Amino acid sequence: MSGAGRIAAGALATAAAGPAIAALVPPGVLLSLLAQACIYAILALSVGVLARQNGMVSFGHAAMFGAGAYLAGIGLGAPGLLPAEAALPLAVLAVAAVCFGLGLIVVRVHGIAFAMLTLALGQACFEAANKARGVTGGADGLTVALPREIFGLPAATFQWAEGMFLIAWLAMVALAALAALLARSRFGLLTEAIRENEERARFLGYGTVLPRAAVFALSGGIAAAGGVLYVLYNGFVSPETVHWSVSGSALIMALLGGTRTVWGPLAGAAVYFLLREQLVEVTERWLGLLGILLVLVMVFLPDGLSGLPRRLRRQRGAEA
Amino acid sequence: MSAPALSARGLARHYGGVAALRGVDLDLVPGEIRGLIGPNGAGKSTLVDVLSGRAPGSGGSVRLFGQDITGLGPAARRHAGLARSFQRTSIFPALPVGAQLDLAARRVGATDAPRLLDELDLARLAAVPAEQTAYGDQRRLDLALALVGPPRVLLLDEPAAGLTAEESLALADRLRELARARGVTVLLVEHDMEVVFRICERITVLELGAILAEGTPQEIRRHPEVVRAYLGSAAA
Ligand SMILES: Nc1ncnc2c1ncn2[C@@H]1O[C@H](COP(=O)(O)OP(=O)(O)OP(=O)(O)O)[C@@H](O)[C@H]1O
Ligand SMILES: [Mg+2]
Repeated sequence: MSGAGRIAAGALATAAAGPAIAALVPPGVLLSLLAQACIYAILALSVGVLARQNGMVSFGHAAMFGAGAYLAGIGLGAPGLLPAEAALPLAVLAVAAVCFGLGLIVVRVHGIAFAMLTLALGQACFEAANKARGVTGGADGLTVALPREIFGLPAATFQWAEGMFLIAWLAMVALAALAALLARSRFGLLTEAIRENEERARFLGYGTVLPRAAVFALSGGIAAAGGVLYVLYNGFVSPETVHWSVSGSALIMALLGGTRTVWGPLAGAAVYFLLREQLVEVTERWLGLLGILLVLVMVFLPDGLSGLPRRLRRQRGAEA
Repeated sequence: MSAPALSARGLARHYGGVAALRGVDLDLVPGEIRGLIGPNGAGKSTLVDVLSGRAPGSGGSVRLFGQDITGLGPAARRHAGLARSFQRTSIFPALPVGAQLDLAARRVGATDAPRLLDELDLARLAAVPAEQTAYGDQRRLDLALALVGPPRVLLLDEPAAGLTAEESLALADRLRELARARGVTVLLVEHDMEVVFRICERITVLELGAILAEGTPQEIRRHPEVVRAYLGSAAA
């Protein structure tokens, strides 16, 4: 099977697992948690795409996530202006467009300086969400009433755990498949080459800023899509959603799962949410324990949990 | 008279107070393999950097077959037909050897990537990430990335750096064949005198950022100042 065929088959199989999970898990708190986990997994995926294709570590992706949520919320709050079916994709496209413009500048910054820059920009967005009361509702947040129907589905579907779990699961699988197809395309190969050795790529005749900015835009768009689902599910968005700690959690998920593979951050999000659920029961210091786990993974599995199969294969190869 | 393949006039470059190039003139005849030698720190890599657009010159001009490329960046110079390799191996470590050569070929609309893989003994490594190949393979990959196309003028900064004497000579012979067959003009920076004398028709000697001498291998071997400055008594 070709690479693209494998991706399509994997995506279909994973998508089909969604209803099975929804059927097996008792409705209630756990399913609601899974719905939230899928939404944050999309955010982690966006952080992973940026790391995998551009080699860039972002501490500010909650800004794109939050921007998607706010824009969708504002759009849904003005139904006379735009139908919801237009407002939601527009929120994603607007964030991607802004990220492209911003990307033309910030992708020239490398390494730790880029991480610090995203942290600063993210916090600036947090401040803006707090200050622009007229638009965002300030610290009180923005309560969003959904129209009766969106894309032919009753609004309640989006705010019911099982409904949102399925929607977010499918969105997550579709976006991951998109990212995987991109990764193995010519464009994906070029961005990886630039990640590996930007100077040499230039000497081969390639401009390096546009492709990197395009990846930044794609990553921002994926994060925004997560934000749109977030506001649909919760009917509410506040500056907390844009806080750097949200960016930090997404980064932890991505690193736990590993960014060498597209699906690594999704696995990381699953581990993060399941462990958090267990640890919260045991201790208030669950975040500290999670931090220790992250350190252990980074030391012993620098490619994250998704690097494990590859490492085992290599070890077996070395012994054989 | 046809334009030189590559023509530099008055190239200068300073690093802080250090003048790495002080007014270098250079003309490459189309199709020639020109050797560029000189002691450590003479400015050979700096000259390649300024010619290829890696480092801005602080003066002077560069022409490629008559076209002024002085103001162009590295990517634009590659499209104009100027390619280079690097003294310290510069490849894409995580990417498979074949994929990176395809990437290089595609940008300039070349179709010779598979043949070049064969000719440089890299075909068996096409699917292997470059970081998992031997050092010598990586050096040939660095050369292949520059040679694919082919470009009209090729600047090679010590392509055999770190190879054994035998490997260096083998690579030099291969390089001569490939460049001849493709009609590529080459500027070859090389420490190994045996290599330079073997494949270069003419040699330029750089010392302290200025050209000390230029001539055929025989002339350079006998040039008293070159012998004093660089070759020493060993090669005399
Ligand atoms: N990035 C830099 N910063 C400061 N000085 C530099 C830099 N690169 C080169 N130089 C200086 O410029 C001069 C020329 O260096 P260059 O690398 O061009 O010499 P070279 O002839 O290539 O030497 P080698 O044979 O060792 O490769 C040297 O004095 C060197 O110290
Ligand atoms: Mg040098």
